[in-house]
Amino acid sequence: MAVRIFRWKAIGVLVLVLAALGVLLLLFAEPIAREATEDAGSDLLGTEVDVARLDIHPRDVAVDLAGVALADPFAPERNLVEAARIGVDLDPYALAERKFVVRQLSIGGVAFGTRRERPARPPRRNGLAVQLVGAVRTWADQLDVPILSLTPIDTIRQLALDPTRLGTVQAATALVAQADSTRRAVEQGVQGLDLERTVDSARALVERLKAADPKTLGIQGTRDAIASVRRTLDEVQQARERVGALERQVRGGVDALGTGVERLDEARRRDYAFARSLLQLPSFDAPRIGKAFFGPVSIARFQQAMYWVQLARRYMPPGLLPRASTGPDRLRMAGATVRFPKERTYPKFLLEAGTVDFSIRGDGPLGGRYTAWARGVTSAPALYGRPTVIAASRRAEGAALRAVDASAVLDHLRRPPRDSITAVLDGLGLPTIDLPGLPVRVEPGKGRSRLMFVLSGDDLSARWSIASDQVRWAIDTAGRPLNGMERLVWRVISGLRDLSVTAELTGTVASPRLSVASNLDDAVASRLQAVVGEEVARAEQLARATVDSVVADKAAVARRRAEDVAAQARERIAEARQRLDEAQRQLEEELRRLTRGAGDLIPIPRVTPPW
Amino acid sequence: MLAVLKLLQTLLATLHSEGTPGQVAAGVALGSALGLTPLVNLHNLVIFALLVLLNVSFGGGMLGWALFVPIGFLLDPVFHRIGLGLLEAPGLRALWEAWYNTPLVPYTNFNNTVVLGSVIGWLALALPIYFAARWGVARYRATIGERVRRSRVYQAIMASRLYNIYRWFRPT
Repeated sequence: MAVRIFRWKAIGVLVLVLAALGVLLLLFAEPIAREATEDAGSDLLGTEVDVARLDIHPRDVAVDLAGVALADPFAPERNLVEAARIGVDLDPYALAERKFVVRQLSIGGVAFGTRRERPARPPRRNGLAVQLVGAVRTWADQLDVPILSLTPIDTIRQLALDPTRLGTVQAATALVAQADSTRRAVEQGVQGLDLERTVDSARALVERLKAADPKTLGIQGTRDAIASVRRTLDEVQQARERVGALERQVRGGVDALGTGVERLDEARRRDYAFARSLLQLPSFDAPRIGKAFFGPVSIARFQQAMYWVQLARRYMPPGLLPRASTGPDRLRMAGATVRFPKERTYPKFLLEAGTVDFSIRGDGPLGGRYTAWARGVTSAPALYGRPTVIAASRRAEGAALRAVDASAVLDHLRRPPRDSITAVLDGLGLPTIDLPGLPVRVEPGKGRSRLMFVLSGDDLSARWSIASDQVRWAIDTAGRPLNGMERLVWRVISGLRDLSVTAELTGTVASPRLSVASNLDDAVASRLQAVVGEEVARAEQLARATVDSVVADKAAVARRRAEDVAAQARERIAEARQRLDEAQRQLEEELRRLTRGAGDLIPIPRVTPPW
Repeated sequence: MLAVLKLLQTLLATLHSEGTPGQVAAGVALGSALGLTPLVNLHNLVIFALLVLLNVSFGGGMLGWALFVPIGFLLDPVFHRIGLGLLEAPGLRALWEAWYNTPLVPYTNFNNTVVLGSVIGWLALALPIYFAARWGVARYRATIGERVRRSRVYQAIMASRLYNIYRWFRPT
């Protein structure tokens, strides 16, 4: 009996299974999509994304989201932004290619910086965005923010230093070892020249020839004698080349010793600074004071901007090369999912142009209606062909908050990408700032805040400023009483009614430089200088003297040893040259005497010294 | 426990079914795709439809699935490398670009390294699996099959009601 290939009766079962799958999809598509949106959003942005409800409208190819909240990646207890409603109309043709092209976007009920009911969870996957949060934190940590120390310095009487922690001691030990090593190398090098043999051979030949007369030697004898002189001159020449090689080697060693001596001086300067830091002396440099007071708050602003720009660079890379990203979360290995952007096709994601009118709830200074628009937010800028632009603004003359203007231009069309963010908030209630190291906080009141952040390739240029003329100062002495210097600082700053802070970030991403200036700097610095400047100078003198007492002898010994070895090395080389010069001179003299006797029959060798 | 019992039932029922060794082996070869490749993907819907529609042993398919799931997990790093190699091959880039920008095709997840690598891996292994399974079933039936059928353990396992579910899809 022939075996049938198809089991036609099973078609009914298959249809039933497919129908059951379809029903399940209809029933659970929205909860599944909501969870998938939360998970994907959290993974993409590196911070918790909550969606209270998600409705799919298959006929309109649209999705409505309600209660969307995006947690601040650097402050889990608050939301960066909340939206009561987001409506998304998608392009069906792009969707067929599994791409998300947003035809229309509407956002309503937006609130910024709201407090969360519970702190945001860290994202489940250690994805790109999570790694970026860590990387940006590390980046921010490298920005140097001095700590304003207001320890009373009249209590400083002595300073104990552990010699093993002083760089000068280590540098001196290293220099002595290096000098000894150089000396040994010079000795071995000089021995390796084998000058004795060459010079003795030349001397013996000269002695032998002095007794000989060309007339008695005859033509053949004279020719042999001249050949002997030539050979010996060649040997002298070779020895001279060996001396030259040794000299170059010695010069390198001596230069290294010179560098070691310079390092000794640098190490001592660092040791002075280290000793000074142990004394925790207050700094009276105005720039350091501004940085100490307002550095952390400035860095927080730059850190946010850096994170979002870097995130945009990761998700919106220039060019059309295939791009791999981590595959979906599943029991099996995730693998990598590769995208293949192609000219004249849809990118994976595109918000071509969207105008968003949104209002911020409440009677606060930020409340009111806003207009925002976005153009070319896409995963493949090269396909879209124009930079991404996002802008939001509000004008309300007479209102508490007079103007808000924020814009971002992300130009990722080609390498290097260039990103810029600018934001101006005028009439805004500026946030309270705690002054590090002091139980004091400043409430700037309403004022003006500006942020400009430009990242061109890896070059940074950023500026953040706040200005207010309604400043109030608050002190919290419940924890501990202020000491004398802190009281002095408090008296200085509490009398100020204006506040102006400008922070600038320059350099490159790998090596950023932060500078902060405020109107407090000079006032505080001059007062501190006037009151405790003399004490600080004495303490600095103490720090230097203590370092000198520990390291002076060792440094002097090391320096002397290095100088002696360098001098000896030069001397040995000069001596070797002198001996060879003498041998050569005598040989050439004999050669001239012999050739005078032999006439023009024998050509005279010309010896050209290499120097 | 129930899963182990079901697996045993499936294994024994398949080996002692009326289906030919070729039908059982074809079922195992098709079912191995469900185990070797990530399950929730469009191609596995096609495999499932083939298992149901083709006159092959459905039990063999379930058996192949169960047997090859752990192997699939073990081979995932190999599949990833195969998939990555193919997706990054300059000569195939035009093909992937075309597929990636063709409606519905991206929903197959072909551009995931593990999915592509495991599908290619399964295609390469399907015939060896088929022949090995056919040989194994034939040898089993010719040697110890009858003794197992008469054993009490077999009778006890087959007495379970779950066996009835299998009988819906046994090859004819």
